[in-house]
Amino acid sequence: MPHSLLVLGAWVTGFLTLGIFSFLYKDNPLFKITENLYVGVGMGYYVSLYFFQVWTPLVWEPLKEGNYIVIIPSIMGLLLLSQLVPKLSWLSRYTLTFTIGYSCGLAIPMTINTDLLTQILGTAKPFANIANVGGMDIFNMIFILVAVLCVLTYFFFSVESKGAVKKVSNVGIYVLMAYFGAAFGNTVMARFSLLYGRFDTLTKYSHAEYLYSTPIILTLFVIFFIVKHFMDKKKAAIAAEAEANGEI
Amino acid sequence: MKRFLAFLTKMDRRWLFLFLTIVILIPIIKPSNMEMKSISSPVKKAYDFIDTLPENSFVLLSLDFDPGTRPELYPQALALCKHLMKKNLRVALTTFNAGAPGIMTEFKDSILQTFPEKKYGKDIVMFPYRAVFLATVTQLATDVYAQYPDDADGAPLNKMPIMKGIKNYKDMALAIEISGTTLFTSWIYYVGDKYHLPVLGGTTAITQLSYSPYVQTGQLKGLLGGMRGAAEYEAMLHDNYQLETGDATKSLNVLNWPHMLVFLIAVLSNIAIFFGKFMPHKED
Repeated sequence: MPHSLLVLGAWVTGFLTLGIFSFLYKDNPLFKITENLYVGVGMGYYVSLYFFQVWTPLVWEPLKEGNYIVIIPSIMGLLLLSQLVPKLSWLSRYTLTFTIGYSCGLAIPMTINTDLLTQILGTAKPFANIANVGGMDIFNMIFILVAVLCVLTYFFFSVESKGAVKKVSNVGIYVLMAYFGAAFGNTVMARFSLLYGRFDTLTKYSHAEYLYSTPIILTLFVIFFIVKHFMDKKKAAIAAEAEANGEI
Repeated sequence: MKRFLAFLTKMDRRWLFLFLTIVILIPIIKPSNMEMKSISSPVKKAYDFIDTLPENSFVLLSLDFDPGTRPELYPQALALCKHLMKKNLRVALTTFNAGAPGIMTEFKDSILQTFPEKKYGKDIVMFPYRAVFLATVTQLATDVYAQYPDDADGAPLNKMPIMKGIKNYKDMALAIEISGTTLFTSWIYYVGDKYHLPVLGGTTAITQLSYSPYVQTGQLKGLLGGMRGAAEYEAMLHDNYQLETGDATKSLNVLNWPHMLVFLIAVLSNIAIFFGKFMPHKED
């Protein structure tokens, strides 16, 4: 890729990233520009991607080669668009029925197998090997089993939560709290990783190689906000004066 | 004290954003060099599984992430693929995420640049993007070429040396899924459990907890979680194959600081709220 294009890319990236980040200060026109650009470019990207990587190789090319069977799924896909015409919207039900039936047929047995049966087995199976593992592993096995039973008790609504059931379900609440805490910690970690990714890119584009795109754009943003602040203040003063004079 | 506590609870959050920016920027500009001291069990399992695969085995590497989660997932994919290359395995890149094709091309170029002796079509290949996951992975169980007659650039796949002897999942050794979406579970459901192709993967730190039970049951052969998972993998590649550590290790050295800041803020906020309850209010 020519260097001039890389530099242009750095300036565009810097402007868009800082434009989005500017919302952290307050809503502003620069944020609106970048937000609308994101939506528009995203839509254009997906349309071109589906046209060149889905429609052309999976529909157009086979048709050219005389493979007319692709007409059936294509028509079924087009029937979904009939929802746009209320009188014809019933046609889309055929496609939906096919899709839901096909997906459910695959998903229901796999969900029961993967998320239920195998997980139950996974909780119980380690006990078969209890003689060959260390103390910490035994503690983990027992802890997981007790935690699973306590959480299940918490979600068991057929028995009134009082006495022993309440005590067990309270332990279940603590287990859930621990899970939520760990999930929150991981969420913070993930969000900072994404933030780091952007900051690392912006730092890279701060160098002379990219004509100092980040510091220059940042400075322009700061100037914009200072000017806008004073202009807004002036407008507010004029409006207040007009109100005081009874013009509004 | 009372004023300080009131300041903490009523502080404009924009000051926190500014403080956070400074805390992240300083270590980026002046990097520290902390080493990865411990390797978590799911990451070790992933490494060991790949390390024991026979040479020339065929591996599907699905890059199902877009620019939104790229900072976390790209280093994971890179570390895993470097290991696959070092082990002389055949790698087919694939994706079901519309935002990924551009990333996949960049990824392939990066791998070929790191390993100049590897050739496209012989050691690594890119399958084209497919929009419908379920139909595609179900068909791969019977005939790869029915779903992927050509590679991402339109070249016939069955003429490439990398595809020699590959017809369906039975001829493959492993599927690796890199994603922060529910596609991850779908790979376990439909490829791992249904067609018995071993699956391992990398995911974002947020979703890592949800997938951990699958590692315990063996449905996942290993799991890399977030930037830390990638950094751990890089550390193992560095120790065993003398490969240079990459972006994940660098980023973890930076991320330690904002993590400590958040820890400090959480503790201070709790103290402020806790003691704030016992402070006499003005109206009292």
